[in-house]
Amino acid sequence: MVAVAPVMKKRRAKSADDGVLTVGRSKAGTIAANTAGILFSIFMLFPVYWVLNTAFKPANEVLSLEPTLLPKNPTFDNFLSAFKAPLFLENMLNGVIITLLAVAGALVVGFLAALSIARFKFYGRKSIILVILVVQLIPFISLLIPLFLMLQQAKLTNSLIGVSITYLVLILPYTVWTLRGFISGIPRELDEAALIDGCTRAQVFWRIILPLTGPGLVATSVYGFIQAWNEFIIINTLNSPDKQNLMAWLLQNQTTRGTAWGPLMAGAIITSIPVVIFFLIIQRNIATGLTAGAVKG
Amino acid sequence: MRRGKYPFIIGFLIVPVALYCTFVVAAYIQTFQLSLSNWSGLGPIEYVGFDNFTKLWHDELFWKSIRHNLFLLILLPIVTIILALVFAFLLNVGGGHKGGTTRGVWGSKIYRVIFFFPQLLALAIVAVIFGRVFGPDKSGMLNGLFPADWKPWLFLADERYAMLCILIVLIWQAVGFYVVLFSAGMGSIPAEIYEAAALDGATRITLFFRITIPLLWNTVQVAWVYLGIAAFDAFALVNIMTVDRGGPNGASSVLSLMIYRNAFEFSQAGYASALGVVLFFLTLTFAALTLRVTRRDSVEA
Repeated sequence: MVAVAPVMKKRRAKSADDGVLTVGRSKAGTIAANTAGILFSIFMLFPVYWVLNTAFKPANEVLSLEPTLLPKNPTFDNFLSAFKAPLFLENMLNGVIITLLAVAGALVVGFLAALSIARFKFYGRKSIILVILVVQLIPFISLLIPLFLMLQQAKLTNSLIGVSITYLVLILPYTVWTLRGFISGIPRELDEAALIDGCTRAQVFWRIILPLTGPGLVATSVYGFIQAWNEFIIINTLNSPDKQNLMAWLLQNQTTRGTAWGPLMAGAIITSIPVVIFFLIIQRNIATGLTAGAVKG
Repeated sequence: MRRGKYPFIIGFLIVPVALYCTFVVAAYIQTFQLSLSNWSGLGPIEYVGFDNFTKLWHDELFWKSIRHNLFLLILLPIVTIILALVFAFLLNVGGGHKGGTTRGVWGSKIYRVIFFFPQLLALAIVAVIFGRVFGPDKSGMLNGLFPADWKPWLFLADERYAMLCILIVLIWQAVGFYVVLFSAGMGSIPAEIYEAAALDGATRITLFFRITIPLLWNTVQVAWVYLGIAAFDAFALVNIMTVDRGGPNGASSVLSLMIYRNAFEFSQAGYASALGVVLFFLTLTFAALTLRVTRRDSVEA
């Protein structure tokens, strides 16, 4: 129901505006377009607003049946009790360690792989590219059983390392794919000039291609960070609660604590903060990061 | 760059290839193997041929789940892409043509951030939030907004609307990403084309259908693949949000949920693997069909 309303509004806005797109076009179209935008923004923002609203309400206001638009007595208690909740800090630390390991590993492995795909022609190159594309597409869930068995054999279940490696594998295709696009964008003439000046090939990679791939490395590491930080299905399956991350913590608390919405929403906000910060940093460049992988090489 | 390239290639590719052979290829082989057994998850493995697949064929829940996956597969890409295209168009071109430049509607930068915002929330959080949005009594957000004497809507607890609720959340979550993706594509369409068309008297609607859509078609196809894959998965939302996980009465069950529950709750690792094989082929068929259409752009390298 909710999704339909903005669409309808949109349609009406369109048909109301058959004005010709020239200088001094009638204002009606602009108003209609803005109305549609604002309505859709409300649809997009309302749940987020509701989370913030709940997180700052004291417990008695959260449970009251009268909806209030803003907390009457705003409080930070929910945030404090989230921090004090069992395993919250441990799980936060676990998440940080796992995410850093996975992203750093994926960057190193992915950069080297992207380099060889972008800069060398060799037998099997096309099939590697195809495999990268296809692997990205298959839902990971059908691999959970063998994954569990494999890590169990290697004694890596219930460990941060096992999950980190799994996440590395998960974000690697995107990393390789995007970095390959960035590397292909660097003119080969630069490599050749450096080789003529006496650089070894390793030096070319280290001194020329790596620094020029900087923006690509930022884009892929942010994407990898978001993926690894937000994952919860794998970690929930492989590890016991003390070795899980904040996402798993949230779900655990949703089922066990039932109606303690205030601390839960506060926990959700704390969990989202790192992602929001990263987003604000790269906000201007999201579009670049998204399309860079599409550059042909 | 000819001499001595193979040491580099092998050195650079050995780790990722090894990782894939272990985590993806070997894992799939094992899934295929287990799909032919009645293994519970513990103890010795006994092979039973294609029993799991015959059982699947007669499993009512399996067909329900397939239907729900197809429901998402058809509606999720269509609705999301239409919404995203319309809003990307508004943000980039909708403001009209003034002072020699084509621009988006007023405040389009703010809209872009707002639309992208759901993308930042983890699926786990999105699911928890929408669990409250669709709360089936007066404490639910939507029901709380209705007048006090209304009978509360059941939303996820109603067999008829459970999948619709899931669909709405998936769209809510995805649309911002595609607005940004399409905006990037529209940004690379030369403004002269719009200006020339506008001079020739094209209306906004004509611009949208005759210029923007044809020039963005490749991006739309990529979006289609990604959204299709999301429709095949949908595990997180269904698992967290729905009543009885997949209920009521199987009304929101999807394949991925069946796999998970059989594997880790019902001790039916063999049956779960058979479901995994089905999901594998369904996804691959879908991806192959779509990649075939987009082949020129995605695989050519």
